[in-house]
Amino acid sequence: MFLALKEIKYEKLRYGLITLMIFLIAYLIFMLSSLSVGLASENTQAVNSWQTQAVVLNDNSNVSLSQSLLTKEDLKDFKKTKNDSYVGIVPIVMKEKKHQTISAQFIGLNKDEYIYKDLEVVSGRKAKHNDEIAVDQILWNRGYRLGDKVTLNGSDQKYKIVGFLKNAKINIAPIAYGTMATWKKLRPMAPNVEASGIISKKNLDFKAKNVRSYDKQTFVNKLPGYTAQNSTFELMIGFLFVISLIVIAVFLYILTIQKMPNYAVLRAQGIPSKTLIGATLSQSLILVIIGTVLAYLLMLLTVSVMPATVPIDFAPWIMISTIAGMILMGAIGGLIPIRSILKVDPSKAV
Amino acid sequence: MSVIELKDVSKSYGQGDAKVNALKNINFEAQKGEVVLIEGPSGAGKSTFLTIAGALQKPTSGEVFIGKKDVTNYSPKQADALRLDKIGFVLQAYNLVPYLTVREQFILVDKVKKTGNLSKEALDRLLDELGISQLVNKYPKELSGGQQQRVAIARALYADPAIILADEPTASLDSEKVEEVGKLFKTLAKQKEKAIILVTHDLRLNKYSDKIYEMLDGHLSLKKK
Ligand SMILES: Nc1ncnc2c1ncn2[C@@H]1O[C@H](COP(=O)(O)OP(=O)(O)OP(=O)(O)O)[C@@H](O)[C@H]1O
Ligand SMILES: [Mg+2]
Repeated sequence: MFLALKEIKYEKLRYGLITLMIFLIAYLIFMLSSLSVGLASENTQAVNSWQTQAVVLNDNSNVSLSQSLLTKEDLKDFKKTKNDSYVGIVPIVMKEKKHQTISAQFIGLNKDEYIYKDLEVVSGRKAKHNDEIAVDQILWNRGYRLGDKVTLNGSDQKYKIVGFLKNAKINIAPIAYGTMATWKKLRPMAPNVEASGIISKKNLDFKAKNVRSYDKQTFVNKLPGYTAQNSTFELMIGFLFVISLIVIAVFLYILTIQKMPNYAVLRAQGIPSKTLIGATLSQSLILVIIGTVLAYLLMLLTVSVMPATVPIDFAPWIMISTIAGMILMGAIGGLIPIRSILKVDPSKAV
Repeated sequence: MSVIELKDVSKSYGQGDAKVNALKNINFEAQKGEVVLIEGPSGAGKSTFLTIAGALQKPTSGEVFIGKKDVTNYSPKQADALRLDKIGFVLQAYNLVPYLTVREQFILVDKVKKTGNLSKEALDRLLDELGISQLVNKYPKELSGGQQQRVAIARALYADPAIILADEPTASLDSEKVEEVGKLFKTLAKQKEKAIILVTHDLRLNKYSDKIYEMLDGHLSLKKK
């Protein structure tokens, strides 16, 4: 520790630059992973807010809520409990003269079921009547306000925004929640249709003619684009991670190699190699820890000043594994030359 | 009593055509309380001799005894411990840690060798005698060659070793300083019973010595007793 700190203090510029590099790499990894987690969560925000454990859908819907329709006939054997909620979904285009036109998803709910009851209102209230909707709070950032009257899908009927809600996004699109009757009107179809699907917050296993249940993961992975998007990001971050760790290890290795002449002198004086290895290792760790902690702090700052429209979200496990990975690589980078340290020829000092 | 002894030591570097016989069947002995000089032209093998006497490397053949112990086949770890404890090196060049101040050079010794180092008062006195007490907060590169050399001498003495091995310790000192360093070595040898072995071209040190060896082309011979 003594040698490690003294050397850092003496060679401020060199160690400063290496710390800067570690800091930037860590920041890049934090940033990318937070963005990817943010994006992924905008895909599944609503699904998570519904505490979804299982979904009942039409067999032929390819596990897609939007493609699914359930009729009274399909559901005659389904025993609905308080953990189940009927959901009707339909894509909409929301228009208002003064504001930006929005592509969104309309979701119709029954007022006596749990999803409706659990909706988290940020301002205003939930939609009660057929000409009312409550929308994701992102629309507030786009200029929409309580009381605004909008048209949906170009029809003449006006709907009033009565509330802004939290976590109301699915597949990155904002949701407008309304009544089931409105849904039926927006999605013209055969009579007897009950809903697009049933969301359940308890595991369930249901199978009937044309209908079956799926678990949450299967459902989420089939959200359009979700899996492709995630695997792209995972690969990107994975490569970035591995490559940066190697870069860091190489830098620390070069740093140590440059110290060999000094080490020869120290060995000639009888300083044991143990002390030198300790100095090398603690130096690598000090640099990596300072670099990643600073990156983490900057990350916190970045997230706090990012506009709400940028999907960004922390995933603690990514942060922790990044930091752990970097520290590990720092240690490895500092220790690769351990053999060289052990083999330093003290007679070279003469 | 001899504290360091080399018996029939040879050292060669390289192999085949490139082989250099740097030391050839050397016999050497130094007693407690002696200042021994080793003189000789460049390339004669003086530094090689010091590295073997100081257990920095092993001889190709022959034996090395330090304090009656055969250290010829010591492991690197044992050799480190031996040097830390018994041997003070003043190396020909570049023998201070560049990123430590003069004071910290001594602190480093304290860190790895907890006991048996000079007391604070003794160190202050030593630094005074060497004329470097006002330099304690400076880094080596802020010192002149002669000042660095004197710091290196102080550092070697700090751990209070039984044997001091020095390679050209007066190379960058002016005559006045040479006299002081010569006296210091002589006093240390006499009062503290150290064996001091100096490799040097510096004839000004002759009068402080008890014995002078001459190294010529790998052969060592006693010149003055
Ligand atoms: N590591 C080495 N590998 C190969 N040859 C070496 C090595 N070290 C020294 N030699 C050779 O051994 C011989 C003795 O070298 P040494 O350094 O002991 O001489 P020296 O008497 O200290 O000279 P100087 O007064 O110039 O310091 C020289 O011919 C030198 O080239
Ligand atoms: Mg030499």
